[in-house]
Amino acid sequence: MNDASVVRPLPAREGAGGRRRRSRAAAPLLLVLPSLALAIAVIGYPFYEIVRLSLSDVSRFGQVRGFVGLANFSRAFADPNFLAALIRTLEWTVAVVGGTVLLAIPVALILRLDFYGRGLARTIVMLPWAISLSMAAIVWLWSFDGDHGMVNVTLQQLGLLGGNVQWMARPETAFPVEIAVGILVSIPFCVTILLGGLSSIPGDIYEAAAIDGASRAQSFRHLTLPLLRPFINIAIVLNVIYVFNSFPIIWVMTKGGPDNSTHILVTYLYEQAFYLGRPGLAAAVSLAMLAIVFVFTMIYVRMQGREEPA
Amino acid sequence: MTIGRKAFLRGATLALALCGATALVSAARAETVRVTGAYYSDKTGPYLEKMAAEFHKLNPTIDIKIEVVNWDNLLQKLQTDISGGTNADISIIGTRWLLDFVKDDQAEALDGYMDAAFKDRFIGAFLAPGQIGGKTYGLPIAASARALYYNKDLFAKAGIAAPPATWDDVAADAAKLKASGVAGFGLQGKAIETDVYWYYALWTYGGDVVGADGKAAFASDAGVKALTMYKSLIDKGLTEDGVTNYTREDLQNLFKQGRVGMVITAPFLINQIATEAPKLNYGIAPVPKEAQSATYAVTDSVVLFKNSKVKAAAWKFLDFLFTPGPRIEFTKGEGFLPTTKGEATDSYFVSNERLQTFVNLLPSAHFAPTVTGWEDTAKAVSDAVQSVYVGKAEPAAALKAAAAKADEALGK
Repeated sequence: MNDASVVRPLPAREGAGGRRRRSRAAAPLLLVLPSLALAIAVIGYPFYEIVRLSLSDVSRFGQVRGFVGLANFSRAFADPNFLAALIRTLEWTVAVVGGTVLLAIPVALILRLDFYGRGLARTIVMLPWAISLSMAAIVWLWSFDGDHGMVNVTLQQLGLLGGNVQWMARPETAFPVEIAVGILVSIPFCVTILLGGLSSIPGDIYEAAAIDGASRAQSFRHLTLPLLRPFINIAIVLNVIYVFNSFPIIWVMTKGGPDNSTHILVTYLYEQAFYLGRPGLAAAVSLAMLAIVFVFTMIYVRMQGREEPA
Repeated sequence: MTIGRKAFLRGATLALALCGATALVSAARAETVRVTGAYYSDKTGPYLEKMAAEFHKLNPTIDIKIEVVNWDNLLQKLQTDISGGTNADISIIGTRWLLDFVKDDQAEALDGYMDAAFKDRFIGAFLAPGQIGGKTYGLPIAASARALYYNKDLFAKAGIAAPPATWDDVAADAAKLKASGVAGFGLQGKAIETDVYWYYALWTYGGDVVGADGKAAFASDAGVKALTMYKSLIDKGLTEDGVTNYTREDLQNLFKQGRVGMVITAPFLINQIATEAPKLNYGIAPVPKEAQSATYAVTDSVVLFKNSKVKAAAWKFLDFLFTPGPRIEFTKGEGFLPTTKGEATDSYFVSNERLQTFVNLLPSAHFAPTVTGWEDTAKAVSDAVQSVYVGKAEPAAALKAAAAKADEALGK
């Protein structure tokens, strides 16, 4: 990855050399200019708008009524519901990403084995990916219905439950259910990354390890896991970025309730903007979220950089 | 080469001429009025389309374009449209949003268009919620009130002779219903109007949501009593299980399925039951009383946007919508209460006993006040009652905290 070689000027020729050299140096810049302009238009303009809104008193219909400085930020940080949502977002992200990665590793290991019907098994694991998050959340909401949901019926038939449980009625059960659904829908993406990683590990090192007398657990710990680590890291960071911002599951299943007990930042933001008519405050919250995601992205970029020399 | 250019020039001239012609024709012909409607039921869209067609027949120079939006997304859609300057000319809105529209100078005052005869078409009480600062901004397109639906078969099976008149009766009847194996009193604890379901009790105990001073008044003795009463129903198992899991629609579904004895809701459930559960044997009674009788009345308004370029044509359509024919068809189809005198005298409404129960409640009806911060108040109250329903907080403390929150937004 040495881009400098591309722009290194060729030996100058005759009198026009100076001009040619300059145009050569400008060429790559000109080439990236369209995409740069597009990026500025697509990212820069909304970003500018959000910063402007976050510093203004904005009416429900987006009319800017005046500059208020950091009032929107201080208002958000003074709201106990915002702070609770912030902490819950961290719980949500850690639980969903952690659960996903822990489950995806064995799933990927199994799917790599050569067994009859592997294609079918891989398809089944990937299938949830094809369903939009909102649809999946609706189906799970029905499944966890207290009166005729599939989950209650199954658990009762297995003799694990005495009566109906109203899963979504109480925060103690609603939030864990949402986390479980979050894990379930995140697994396909994670498994895909890990399967890709596993296929890059050559099979002969296992044979060599087996000849040296390594047990399967040992070859997993000392061969698979270290070689898979970069992929696990990428899976974690990308999942953190997605899950942190994930809106549909919680919104569809509980809308942040009961009593604000399942709000994460993005549902809190949505409620502020579109139910309570505070676009300014919502813009401030979204900037706070942007800062948090930015930190994760930086971690991701640094990780990428560190892995390259190896 | 030359021929090609000539042909091209000829073609271009022709195209230009055509463009000019169509522009002329369309200028002479159609004004287009765009209407955003709210989805009340699967009849709303067809009804509005039909009205648009009938209106177009009477006024061939005006085209009406209808767009029907789900209630859940309506405010958000209007917000987005207005911020982008692409809003329709006319829209149906929740009257509780009207103040925000007026404050932002989005809604056109309609007084200049209305003459005395037009104003006289309406039942006075329903025109008032659409008026702010002495001007009329919204016309009542839909009105409803709330009453108690009870399942007569379940009541008979449990040995109950008459619908409950007081909240004590509700508790006693619910206990009997519970003993006979169904949920007694349907209590809403999730999503929009969770607060309203508690206001029924609050008002009958003599309390109010917002006081005359414009401050939150619900954390009163009446409020604490009403909330304690609801909580005791939950604790004794006299409601459906897991109330914070039930939206208004969920409760209505339980009632249609014959799985709950009583539920408080709006007149449109009559039409839903007629098509979805025609065999259900039910009656309608006033909201149970305590210190006084009360109900919640709601209107939805139709507004004309200030940035509309076809206000005269749009007004013509509004005028048409509020003539007796279109009104009766709408109100009948959707199961609302009449808002104009022309509807109220129609035989369908006069002879409809069930609807009359609602109409008779109107003198004691509370409308949502047109104050800023109403949505925040609703949210604070919903959160508070939910926290009590799930046992996280005590009624007095929860209401007090909610009142403090509501006061931050009320009147600002």
